[in-house]
Order: sequence, then C-alpha cells, then structure tokens
Amino acid sequence: MSANGKRWSSNPLLEMEGVSVDFPVKRAYPFSKKRWIQAVTDVSLQISEGETFGIVGESGCGKSTLANAMIGMVPPTAGTVRFQGDDLYSLKPKAFRAARRNMQMIFQDPFSSLNPRFTVYDIIKEPMYIRGGASEAVMKDKVLELLQLVGLDEEDLYRYPSDFSGGQRQRIGIARAIILNPKFLVCDEPVSGLDVSVHAQILNLLTEIQKSRNLTYVFISHNLAVVKNICQDMLVMYLGKAMEAGESTAVFANPLHPYTKALLSAILDIDMHRARERILLEGDIPSPIDPPKGCRFWQRCPFAMVGCETIPAELVEVEPGHQVACHLVSGFSEKQKAVGYDRPVSPQPAPEKASAAE
Amino acid sequence: MTETVLEVRNLKVAFPCAGGVIRAVEGIDLVTKKGECVALVGESGCGKSVTALSIMKLLRTPPSVSRIDKLELDGRDLTHLTDRDMERVRGKDMAIIFQDAMTALNPVMTVGKQIDEVYRRHTKLGKKEAREQTIRALELVGVPEPRSRAKAFPHELSGGMRQRVLIALAFACMPKLIIADEPTTSLDVTIQAQVLDVLKSMQRNHDVSALLITHDLSVVANMADAVYVMYSGKIVGRAPKQQLFMDPLHPYTQGLLASVPRISDGKQAFVQIPDTVPHPMRKPSGCYFHPRCFRASDRCREHMPRLENLENGRQIRCWHPLHQERGA
Repeated sequence: MSANGKRWSSNPLLEMEGVSVDFPVKRAYPFSKKRWIQAVTDVSLQISEGETFGIVGESGCGKSTLANAMIGMVPPTAGTVRFQGDDLYSLKPKAFRAARRNMQMIFQDPFSSLNPRFTVYDIIKEPMYIRGGASEAVMKDKVLELLQLVGLDEEDLYRYPSDFSGGQRQRIGIARAIILNPKFLVCDEPVSGLDVSVHAQILNLLTEIQKSRNLTYVFISHNLAVVKNICQDMLVMYLGKAMEAGESTAVFANPLHPYTKALLSAILDIDMHRARERILLEGDIPSPIDPPKGCRFWQRCPFAMVGCETIPAELVEVEPGHQVACHLVSGFSEKQKAVGYDRPVSPQPAPEKASAAE
Repeated sequence: MTETVLEVRNLKVAFPCAGGVIRAVEGIDLVTKKGECVALVGESGCGKSVTALSIMKLLRTPPSVSRIDKLELDGRDLTHLTDRDMERVRGKDMAIIFQDAMTALNPVMTVGKQIDEVYRRHTKLGKKEAREQTIRALELVGVPEPRSRAKAFPHELSGGMRQRVLIALAFACMPKLIIADEPTTSLDVTIQAQVLDVLKSMQRNHDVSALLITHDLSVVANMADAVYVMYSGKIVGRAPKQQLFMDPLHPYTQGLLASVPRISDGKQAFVQIPDTVPHPMRKPSGCYFHPRCFRASDRCREHMPRLENLENGRQIRCWHPLHQERGA
C-alpha cells in the first residue's frame, strides 16, 4: 500500500492513510450542483522519526493542504492521520492540543507570517505564552537562548519585524516554531521567498537544528535540488495525487514518472558543461475542480496512452522503497491492451509545438 | 554584432530620506551590444531594479536624485530627454518586462486592449489593424487561442500566461532593447522553463538586445551572453557567461555560485556566504564586501578597489581576485 522500505516498518512518527481533502466551491446559483475542489486525493505516507520528508510539486498541487492536514489544521474528508500512533482527528480536544504542541510550522512568506505590531520577543514567546505555565522571566531566558541559536542578537529582542531582512525574519519564524520543543516541524517552502545567497544559510540552520534537537521535518518545496540534498524520503505530487514516492536517492537515481522527469529537467542548472535531456511541459496545471478522471497528469504528459485518460494510475512498487503511479511503468492488462489502451495519444497541443519550435 | 545598443556611463541614484541618504546606485557603467543578452545579477537591495528603472527614466525626482553622464540607446543620446520625449521612446525603442504580471497589467482592461494601446500609440495603425497585430503578437509568445484570449482580463489568465502577455507587450513594437526585471521569479519551475524559452527565442529571433535583471544564477546560465555582478550599488565584476561560471574571479561571485544548490551534487551542507547585504545607509568602509569576504585584508577594510579591466572584456573590482593566487 505505501512505500515500505525496511526502515519504515518500525513505528512511524506520522502516518497518513488514504487521506483526501476536498473543499466546497461556492455555488454560482442557489440550486446549481455542488462542486468540490479535490485538493488532495488518496495520499498515503509514513514519516519516521528524525528524517526529512520532502514533498515536491507545482503550486496548486496540494502540497500545503497535505501539510496542513498533517498537523491538524485541515480535517481530511477521508482517510486517517496518525501521529505517534494516535488518530489525530479523533482525539479529545485536550489531547489534540497536546499533540499539536509537538507539531509546528515554518511558513513560506516571512513578511506576512510575522505580526508587524509585535516585537521579536512577543512573536517568539507567543506559543509559550499561549501554552501557559511559564513566567515572564523563564520565557525571556528561553527566547534569548533561541535568538542565539538562530543567529540573531540579544539587542534584536525588542525590534519589530520591519527592521529585518527576509532571511532574518525567517530566522525569527524558525525560533518561534521550535520554542515548545516540537518533535515534528513542517517547513512550507521556507526559502522560496528569499534570495539565493540566503537559501544556504537558512537550510544549513535548519539542518543544524534538526541534528541537535532530533526533529522530524516535512520539507515542502518546488526546488528539487534542495530536496535532493536534504531529504531522505520524498513524495512528488501533481494535482492532488501522489505521482512518485520513495527514498530520495532511489527517486533521483532513477526517476520513472514523466512528471518527475519533467520537473527535473525544468530545473535550470548552472553547470555549463552538461547538456541534459529536456522535457518541456505544455500548458498549465489544470483546475482541481473536476480533475481528469484517469491519470491526473495525462493531458500534459508527452507519453500519454489511450488508457491513461480513463484509468487512474495507482502507486506501484518498482523497487524497494520506490513507488510510481504511471501506466508506462505498471503497464496495462492484456484485456485492456486488447481494447487499445496502450496506444499512444499525443495531447492536442503537441504537434503544434513541434512546428512552432522550428 | 559589435554595434553598441545601450551605453550607460556613471549612473548614480540616491534617495534622500530621514536620517541620511540611501545611495542605491553608485556610478555604474553598462554596455549592451546588438542582439546580446546581458544579465545584471545581485542580491535584493543591491540596486538592480533601480538601475533598470533609471535606464527607462521611470524614477521620479523626488524621491530619487539621480545623475548620469551618458545614456545612449542605439546611437541616440537620451541623457537629456524630457518626459514627453521619453514617452515616445518607451515601448517603441525600449521596453521593460516587470516581475509581477498581476500588478504590471491593468486589471480593468482586457489584455488585448493593453497591447493595442502600444500599437495605437507608437504606430499609425487603426483600431482593427492594431488588434490584428495584437493577436499576432500573442501568437508569437505562444498564447493558445490568441483571438479569444485577447478579450480576457488579466485575472482570467494563469501566471505563466500573464507573463507571456507582458512579453508580447514588451516586444510589440520590436524595440531595440528589452529590460527584463526578474521575469520569472514568481513562477513555478515548469512554467519558468516555458516562459524563459519564449523570452529567449523572441530575443534571439528578432535580434533584440536584452538586459536581464535577476538574482537567480540558473536563469543567467540559460539566458545570458555576458554578466554584470552587482553588489551594494556597485558593479563588482563583468564577464562573459562561460568564464563567469567556469572561472569566477571575485570572491563574491564565487560565493554566489557556490550557494546555488545543484542537482548534480551529492548530499552535503550548503555552502553559504555569511551574513547579509549591508544596509544601504550603513555601508562599510573600503570594499563593501569585505565584512563577508573570506579573503579580506586590511587594505580591503580601508580602500575601495577600482574596477579593473582584464582581457576578454572582463572587469573586476577586488584587491585580491582569485586568479592572482593561481598566477603567483
């Protein structure tokens, strides 16, 4: 069912099984059909303690919704989320709050995720303040300790977020996220709003903190180069569904899904001496309202076959710790082949593109 | 190929404000040849965008105070042109592509109308002919069904499509120079690849010079012919692209290159440049980069190095460039 390498057989910290999240769309007319945005559809995964789990995909593919479902912010419409063995969404409020204390989040945009009217001290202490039970002096000590850990000065304590650069603000966000000693940290595109030269600083800081505090990370990114460098396991998503999953070494060594390949080739590399095979995807990601019935990717897939249109592709294990959801890999049954499901279809825009490129 | 299209000499821009003067651009020279794509690279706050805006003469005084010795576009001196004359140049002889397509386009006008406007303004085309041209322009940048898309409002288009519309808008009159200010920063990776392809083919096919402003070296690697590296309001180096990537001479350039995560790497810690860009009001003495530089010496702390010319059109502003060590 899910990508089970040997490592995953032990107790995972977080486990998702068949999780789907749908959001209702506001009706255009009072009696028109109710429609749903299928943000996440049937995703299963296991995250073991101390690892970094990468989620990759374009914007609008459900990465953030999935992460929100993990930490109890968006109840899934189907499936279960288990954190340390407990079903997160059936916990009693008190236990739920206790579990939530162990999961924190670092947001993408360091400009809108910090309250501009709070000082750095107020921002960082807030989780502790809300939990209660700590005196002002204790909180201040803790905040100072964290400031030092994330590389800010003591004198920054009473400054406001507007005094800081993007990278420094992200450091404040990190300090706020770890003040309650969580076990599980979701980093939602923590560097994509920052300058390239600052990326390395923030990523190194995150890795250091992970080592010293034994944290488990979920790292959401559209930058595959970053994911390759810091994640042990990864999941490639497209339009709410898992396309490819597994240990990142396996996935990067042998990407099998056309979408993963396209993502990889879309990365602009700065290595001058290497020519690479490029797969340029046509068009944009379709709307998650009424997504394609078969494989979600078939409309943009350069290798689409007739059957891809109607038969959903399920994750199949291709090697230990590496799963792919693609008919190209899993193939069709004899019966399906008889109806011509394995005939290639080129999506309409493809031939046009060939002539336009000339 | 050697014809100079854009020449900027000694551009200075400052913003006086409470508590001091922000010297955003401190005397930079830029040269762009015909059909060439020149990149201007630097971290945010180093003055890239201000440079772009002042080449377009889009900065107002106040708040800014600027001085320029020479601004020449395709042999024509623009240094002392009035706003009114500049209006005839902008859009026709040079055009700019902004980063954020949602704010650069007028939200209450259809995109077709916005492109029509360029033709109506700068050519003698009538309404109908202008629309025909618009549709052709949209087709060129790969907008599917250009005829119906021309009637769409910006919010009805996806990010990639909007950026294509901006490219169509900039290339409408086939200007001599295109300034692209972070054209793909707000886009997804797959869409970024598409849009860059469009931009590149438009620029190459129509032999238009481009000034590409970006902080993303991977974009530079795919687009540019030559690169200027900017730091804290000054040019710290210039090099042909190949040489810059294969053999960086300035410690800053080397640091920038090393900090880009690469897909070909194994797992390892990311190389980082320590610290951040100095605040524009509190620039350090001497070389602006010395507090972050691993080669800094006393000389760097006291004196700003000059921009030296090297062979192959390379320039460098550093007391201890990396090739000196190798040569010695």
